[in-house]
Amino acid sequence: MANIAAQRIKREFKEVIKSEEVAKCAIKLELVDNNYTELKGEIAGPPDTPYEGGNFVLEIKVPETYPFNPPKVRFITKIWHPNISSVTGAICLDILKDQWAAAMTLRTVLLSLQALLSAAEPDDPQDAVVARQYKENLDMFKLTARHWTNAYAGGPSVNSECDDKIKRLVDMGIEEHQARVALSSYNWDLERATEQLFS
Amino acid sequence: MEEMAASQENDSEMDCSDNEDCYDYNDYYNDEDSDVEHIDLLKIDPEYFEYKCLSEEEIERLLNETVEDLSNRLRISLSLAKVLLHSHYWNSNEVIVKYEENPQQTLISSRIDPPVPPRNIIFTPTHMTCPVCVTLHHVDRFFYLSCAHMFCKDCWTMHFEVQVNQGISTAISCMARDCVVLAPEDFVLKHLQHKTSIREKYQHFTFQDYVKSHPELRFCPGPNCSVIVHSNEIKAKRVVCDQCKTIFCFRCGCDYHAPTDCQVIKKWLTKCADDSETANYISAHTKDCPKCHICIEKNGGCNHMQCYNCKHDFCWMCLGDWKSHGSEYYECSRYRENPNIAHESVHAQAREALKKYLHYYERWENHSKSLKLEEQTLGKLRARINEKVMSGLGTWIDWQYLFTAANLLAKCRYTLQYTYPFAYYMDAGPRKELFEYQQAQLEAEIENLSWKIERAETTDRGDLENQMDIAEKRRTTLLKDFLDV
Repeated sequence: MANIAAQRIKREFKEVIKSEEVAKCAIKLELVDNNYTELKGEIAGPPDTPYEGGNFVLEIKVPETYPFNPPKVRFITKIWHPNISSVTGAICLDILKDQWAAAMTLRTVLLSLQALLSAAEPDDPQDAVVARQYKENLDMFKLTARHWTNAYAGGPSVNSECDDKIKRLVDMGIEEHQARVALSSYNWDLERATEQLFS
Repeated sequence: MEEMAASQENDSEMDCSDNEDCYDYNDYYNDEDSDVEHIDLLKIDPEYFEYKCLSEEEIERLLNETVEDLSNRLRISLSLAKVLLHSHYWNSNEVIVKYEENPQQTLISSRIDPPVPPRNIIFTPTHMTCPVCVTLHHVDRFFYLSCAHMFCKDCWTMHFEVQVNQGISTAISCMARDCVVLAPEDFVLKHLQHKTSIREKYQHFTFQDYVKSHPELRFCPGPNCSVIVHSNEIKAKRVVCDQCKTIFCFRCGCDYHAPTDCQVIKKWLTKCADDSETANYISAHTKDCPKCHICIEKNGGCNHMQCYNCKHDFCWMCLGDWKSHGSEYYECSRYRENPNIAHESVHAQAREALKKYLHYYERWENHSKSLKLEEQTLGKLRARINEKVMSGLGTWIDWQYLFTAANLLAKCRYTLQYTYPFAYYMDAGPRKELFEYQQAQLEAEIENLSWKIERAETTDRGDLENQMDIAEKRRTTLLKDFLDV
């Protein structure tokens, strides 16, 4: 079985390398080890989304039973998205679970993930905090997601106010990421974030 | 005691199977005979239920007959008939009506055919690449379902192996992206030809799926029991497994619960599980004697208590004088609602609701405990009888009536226990009053019976048998009036 997995990954790897998406720098695939069991994927944040301009790195683990079972994929780059855990990078996407079909490929997975970044499904959340913000305050969500894209995925800087607030907390001795999570979770309310961090 | 109860149950079950033996589906006259008999039996025994405990082989035969019959009537393959039956809960008539009305739509909705018919397959090349293993194979090695998605033989085999190992059987779909077509049994088995253990697993899982989707079949819930119960009546009636003697409800497979129905008992049990902490705290295991206030632990099933200290007779449930329970009106099973509750505060209403629940819960729990304690009483009884037989005081047969009495008591108390959730969810009104009256009558007779059994050696046999008769009559009367299945 492992034989088919390796054979398939080799082939898919070539397919992705030659694909037009790679040419447009939209997706990327790299080998991590030589026996084709682990790969590193990369997707560009889709245009007209808070993720635009960022590059998101993915960990792809190929099970022995691939392609009869789906690959295990998670975000390594930290991201603010209702269907992706802001803590672990775990993804909630049907094709990575029961809707997987053996005829799907890593290319379809990467493109589906890119599509997920353009169209979140807050009713089927992975991260409850993010999903609530998305549903209750879409503008706040977009601001936060863009900020995270800038901080972790190399996206453009947009709002210096956010950076200032983080700096205030860092000056108080809080670790930067922890400060960012607290502020993001409390709609950038410095007072409430501080309260939560020091309680 | 359970063993005894079961053997007695078994006797009555044998009566029905005798009756079933003359029930021949093909014989018109016998059929009618049995119908008449059936109605009569229901009049005598509201819990009467015709069912059969069958083995896996027998059920397989039964399912296969249904499949063959449908396949002949619609002139379709056996495999197709099976999928159609499974997706329609084994209702042949429904399949026939739907299929004759619109065969194409029926095949699509049963996921046998794709929603959009595939393009014609043209085999021009001699070789092609399988999209799953990306290997070039001769076209001979390719197979496909009605959706025409082609994959090589080895990949189909691997796909089925992986799915079966994950416990999936009747719901294995095609390997193509977004394709909903299911792989029928013959297609799967053909590809698992050389994989004996996987093949067996697959057949085991499909069989389980078939039985679970068939409303006339129910797996016996007993541990490690392989019996499957079959009945043409899909009702919440009592089943006693021939093999392991487990007693359960045919419709929901849980503990038998007459006169309460399946939904209500589920609601009640969930409620009890949620509230058990409070309820347990309030209903302690010991109570003080209402007269001399000595602490009493209940060590028998009977609720008619006699204080060992002052010899005061009282009721364990309401702590009232037993005299008012025995001969006159037995009412401690009835919950008295506060008539002015609508005008009280929300807080008082909540307290009242808890009080009401506790009233029923305490009685439910108490009878359940009594059942267990009476089981112990039976053990002691058995030891005492053993002693008597050994010392030449009669034979085992002479004392048999005591066991019959104990079994009857268990049966009656069991029903009594399940009358409490029924009453809890009942709307107030004359029907509830009638129910609670009958419940009180039953409870009084059960306590009398329990009292007499615990003092069996000093109770006259005729008296005891009379009491048994009264208790069982009360039980059947209540069930006849309120068991609604």
